[in-house]
Formats: sequence, C-alpha cells, structure tokens
Amino acid sequence: MDYPEKLAQIVSLFEALAPAEKRESLISYATAAAQNAPRDGETFALEDVRKDEECTDTVGVFLKISTCRACEFRITLGPQVQTLTKAMTAILCKGLAGCTPEEVLEVPADFVPKIVGADLVRQRSQTVYYILTRMKTVAKVWLNRERAGR
Amino acid sequence: MIDKNYAHPEALVTTHWVAEHLSDSRVRLVESNEDYLLYDTGHIQGAVHIDWRADLQDQTIRDYVSPKQFADLCARHGISNETTVVFYGDKSNWWACYALWTFRLFGHEKVKIMDGGRDKWVEENRHLTRAVPHFVKGHYTPAADRCDAEIRAFYDQTLAHSRDGLPLIDVRSPGEFRGEITHMPEYPQEGVLRGGHVPGAASVPWKMAVNEDGTFKSAADLHSIYEEEAGLQPGQNVIAYCRIGERSSHTWFVLTYLLGYKNVRNYDGSWTEWGNRVGAPIERG
Repeated sequence: MDYPEKLAQIVSLFEALAPAEKRESLISYATAAAQNAPRDGETFALEDVRKDEECTDTVGVFLKISTCRACEFRITLGPQVQTLTKAMTAILCKGLAGCTPEEVLEVPADFVPKIVGADLVRQRSQTVYYILTRMKTVAKVWLNRERAGR
Repeated sequence: MIDKNYAHPEALVTTHWVAEHLSDSRVRLVESNEDYLLYDTGHIQGAVHIDWRADLQDQTIRDYVSPKQFADLCARHGISNETTVVFYGDKSNWWACYALWTFRLFGHEKVKIMDGGRDKWVEENRHLTRAVPHFVKGHYTPAADRCDAEIRAFYDQTLAHSRDGLPLIDVRSPGEFRGEITHMPEYPQEGVLRGGHVPGAASVPWKMAVNEDGTFKSAADLHSIYEEEAGLQPGQNVIAYCRIGERSSHTWFVLTYLLGYKNVRNYDGSWTEWGNRVGAPIERG
C-alpha cells in the first residue's frame, strides 16, 4: 500500500540516507518534537493524554479535524520519553497531516524500518511503533463517534 | 573518588572527578544508555558510545561477543588493556553498570562508574557536546576466555543455588517479584510466559540502592538494606537477577564494589529465561 504523500516524502528521504545521516535526521526530528505540542487557543475534536505501561512517560495525543475531514495531530511528550519516540512524533505529525481518519488507520507500519533502519527496529522494537499506535487509536475513536452520531 | 565508607571507593567517581579528567589519556569515558539515540543528542566531551545490544551482545545467539570481538570494540574506541574505563548513562546507570559488568566478563579490571550518571551531569549544567571523538586505535589483547565462572550465573547454577537455599536477590519491582506482572512497570510485555520469582529469592528492588538524584546510597545505608533487611551476610555466595540482567548488574556493582562481597554473580538469563523455561520452579506472592 502507498503511504500518505507527506509521509512518503519523508520515507523516501530517509531511504536515501546513509546510517549516520539517518541518525542525524532522527536527532533533528527529535529536537523538533516539542513544536508539535498544542498551541494557545487551539481546540480539539479528541484529546487522549495518558501514561501507558509501554512508554516511559506520559504522552498526549490531540486531534483536530477540519470540515473536509483532514486530520492534524498535536502531541505532548513527558520529559522521560526516549529520543526515538520524540523523532517518530515529529515525523508522524508532519507525515500524517491532512490525512483522513480512515487513511491514518490504514497507514502500514512497514515504513518504520525504512526510516530508522532494521537494526534499530530490532534493538528498540518497543519504542518505534508506540506513537503511530496512539495516533491510530485516536483516529479510530473519532471514527466510532462519527458513526455513532449519524 | 567517593568515600562513603565503601569497600572499593575507587570504583566510583564524581561528576567533578570526570570533569577534571576529560583530557586524561589514561581514562576513557563510555556512555551506555537505554535510550539508543541519547548519546547522539549530546554527551560528555571525549565519551564514546557503547550499546548493550549492538556492541556487547552476539547478534545471533543470546550471549556476549567473543573475546576477539570485545578486543576489537575496545581497540576501535582507543581502549587498551591498561585504560581506566569510566562508565555513565541514563536510568541511574543501569546500562553503565551492565557495560561495566560485561567489561569485567572479559577481564578488564580498571573500571569505574560516574556516580549519578548522565542525569546528574546534565542536572549540574555541565557541558555536553555532539562531537564524536576519534581516537588512535588502541592495542587490546583479548582475554583467552570470558570470566563467566566468576561473575556470571547460568540457569542450572541458579537452580542449584535455589535448591541449596543460598542467597538469591531478585532486584525487579515488587509487582514482578510477586508475579502480578511479567515486565517492568512502564515497559511492554516482552515475552515472558510465567510470572513470579525463583524459589527462595529475596526481593530487593535495585532502586533501593540509590538516592533521588541517582547517586548510590552510603555504605551504612546499603549494609542496612542488604544485610539487616534482606538477610545477606558478608562473604556469602550471592546470585542477583532481574528480567534481562541489566538491573541486576546494578545490584551486582553495589554488592561487589560498594559493599565488598567477593562472590557475587549476575544471572543475566534472568526472568526472561526462567519464566519461559519448561519445568522451572516458581514461587508467587
């Protein structure tokens, strides 16, 4: 399956990078993760802030949906969240912006090794898929509510 | 050095000591973390990165690298047999202690821990750099064999230890010890089929050994925790275990270097082996 356009661009960029450059790019994305926090005055269709056992700190996922059903995610991360999780946060907020909830749910997780490299997925498997799972959960809840409201 | 009446105060150094030895060619700083990319975000000047999985473990079977591979790793980082290696890292030095223990497996004796780890260095607003150091390749003569027999316990030895009523220290969280959960709080389930603990083990979570800032407690406090409360006696033959061997290497360091126990082994197979082993005896509660 094809990835959403913005995510596909990020994946394509990472695939062209050497391992050291991938790490540098991941660090850059991780550094930018805080910019994906909710901004003053924003309101959200759904907010899901919790501390899961599989993550080292609290993660908040906030979903905005436009009238044409385009998603925009905002994410807050506790200070103990690992660098890789921060990087995936920035990548996914950018890569999934504008997708419909259905498209978010259909995003295959096989893009993750293409971004972080197979070795890192194997070594830190618990970390790399967490944010995508949380975003999909919020998208699913929103869809269920939409269906219930029809 | 730090002296809170530890048996081997030379094994623990302060952040101040490290700051004063940044240019000491006899010393190599090694950062070892759980957070794989943390080193790349900034590290102490001159520190090299050694990852517990990628660098110290065999990539196929569950075991450590060979002495030759270890020697190559050290040489690559400019570490020779005579280099004093100072370890530090995240998570109150879990992985730093694990790396230190692994270095000891290969016979490297000149090892130290930076008390308080990376968090203390950062908390003190000390300088971090993203510049990765490059050292002239070191000359490291590999050990003939790993020192498994001295500081590492395997399943059969741990089972015999349990049956003989010898001291076992379970350093996991109380919930893991009681069998209520099969992973650390805040971590995912990673494939252990049964919960509980090795029969006869005493529960002394690793965290008991550290202060709020991640530094180690004084020897008096540690004697109280491990001897008065857990019933250990100096000189005893002790096996420590956790889930995969990292938290128990922290406790191994405490018992070996801070309290001076001479016969402590880390069962690195730990609960991921024991809790999956067909027929392994288990106690709960």
